[in-house]
Amino acid sequence: MPDAARLRLWLRSVGRSVFRVGWPRTDKDRAAAMISSFFLHIHSAKVQPHSLRPSYTLGLGLLSFYLFGVLIITGIALMLYYIPTPLAAYRSMKDLQFVVTFGMVLRNMHRWAAHVMVIAVFLHMCRVFFTGAYKIPRQFNWVVGVGLFLLTLFLSFTGYLLPWDQLSLWAITVGTNMASYAPWLGDYLKYLLLGGNVIGPATLLRFYVLHCVILPAIAVGLVGVHFFRVRKDGLSAPARPEPAPVEEERSGRFPASTRSYGLMALTDRPALPVEETDPEAEDEVMAWPHLLYRELIVLLALLVVLHVVSLLFDAPLEELADPTRTPNPAKAPWYFLGLQELVHYSAFIGGVLVPTIVVLLLLLTPYLDSAPRGVGVWFAPERRWANWIFGVLASVAILLTLIGTYFRGTNWAWVWPWTG
Amino acid sequence: MRLTWPMTRRRFLFTTGTGAVVAGVLGFLGATVRYLFPNVLYEPASRFPAGHPGDFPAGEPSFLPDRRLFVFNSSAGFYAISSVCTHLGCNVRFVAGEGFACPCHGSRFDLNGQVVSGPAPRPLAWFGLSLSPRGELVVDERRTVDPDYRFKV
Repeated sequence: MPDAARLRLWLRSVGRSVFRVGWPRTDKDRAAAMISSFFLHIHSAKVQPHSLRPSYTLGLGLLSFYLFGVLIITGIALMLYYIPTPLAAYRSMKDLQFVVTFGMVLRNMHRWAAHVMVIAVFLHMCRVFFTGAYKIPRQFNWVVGVGLFLLTLFLSFTGYLLPWDQLSLWAITVGTNMASYAPWLGDYLKYLLLGGNVIGPATLLRFYVLHCVILPAIAVGLVGVHFFRVRKDGLSAPARPEPAPVEEERSGRFPASTRSYGLMALTDRPALPVEETDPEAEDEVMAWPHLLYRELIVLLALLVVLHVVSLLFDAPLEELADPTRTPNPAKAPWYFLGLQELVHYSAFIGGVLVPTIVVLLLLLTPYLDSAPRGVGVWFAPERRWANWIFGVLASVAILLTLIGTYFRGTNWAWVWPWTG
Repeated sequence: MRLTWPMTRRRFLFTTGTGAVVAGVLGFLGATVRYLFPNVLYEPASRFPAGHPGDFPAGEPSFLPDRRLFVFNSSAGFYAISSVCTHLGCNVRFVAGEGFACPCHGSRFDLNGQVVSGPAPRPLAWFGLSLSPRGELVVDERRTVDPDYRFKV
């Protein structure tokens, strides 16, 4: 055999040791490619066209996941320059902005991605609610999702202190004092968070460890569980007529419609065309390329937008944190400004009562609203009341946040944003 | 596992063993939670000399920004009021003739630090004063006092 051909063969065998299937050209190979890859096997081999429609999912869950990935990568890059002690922390930020090549853009990307992620996760929750996608069998995944939403907020909140400028110090002062209103545990919680009685080096170190190690680790675990459940339960879809049971299901073998065994459905019983074994599979399409291409497009679009925004707009950095001088007004991070607006009326109501009730309601939602109706369609008429209640509550939250952000000025007095 | 009496030796050992493991794990977890609460704080001391009585001009408040504290030198004596708003911990400003105003959520306090309006749940804290052997005014933040408190030098 000529040397070139042998080399080609050798290279091919090396390639096959990494990518077992190679570039797939048949449906069987496409399914095998998805299932044999560590990174791709989170997908099922086939998906319903319904769940591919951008107008159904709006790509929000995917977007949140990508943003989390961007935050991990940019966050690790920032960690290489960041020193978590008060003066050095602020100096690191200045270095990143003015000295480190590309430091400013990476910091901007981290900052903007964090803000967008809070919005994306919130909208994803709204999407899941309005399409009734938290109903049986996905109730617990909604609960995991609520956990991920809270984790997103807490991740963003802990990151807020790290620049150690006036903005971060006073936002965290207001935020941690809100936590101290929790009955019985409030003072302990504040002491635990601050690592003392006042915001200082111990607080910065705690927030740093929470932000860079503890919370991301928990988030990665929960994202894993969240995806696993999505994979096992399938994406939500409108109810379809009950299919007649096939022979194998009656005989107690694995039902062909169980998505985890999608490849078996393709390979185990070659005598039967797949459509005949899986009644649901009739209108399913291969995840490769239909799902993968869509995922890639969302990723590319996100990266382009994030880069452009980060090149055009700089993350804020105010003067060095000064515990003796409170800016007027002192505001919490924007996603807590709805609560701060409530706290303005009553610290207990805004800081404890409302957040507790909201979180409990969110956690219990799939168990309180358990009727399996109106799943897989936006604003199903059968779910009119549930959608109205959620819609009103979400609107109130958005409205309060907007008021706290744009309509509150010196001494928390009402101002019109256009009057400066 | 159902407990019956008399216990067999195997069951006794299994029960005590399991109990010991559970107690050990709980103890370890409890100690780890306790570990998160620091015993020593490298924060400014809560009892500290604020300056010589003569450093504080009569009739007007002196703001000590590092200690977040107002010291007043009145004709009846000295007194110290915290500048930390009891609502969410912002620094209040002194407004001559009126009292104190918080920039964060608009809480207002009178000249004695009592809440006049706004969301602050408690009056501003008053701290006890004493004189050090070197004649300095010492503020003790752990000793809160009533608004009629005056310290005569």
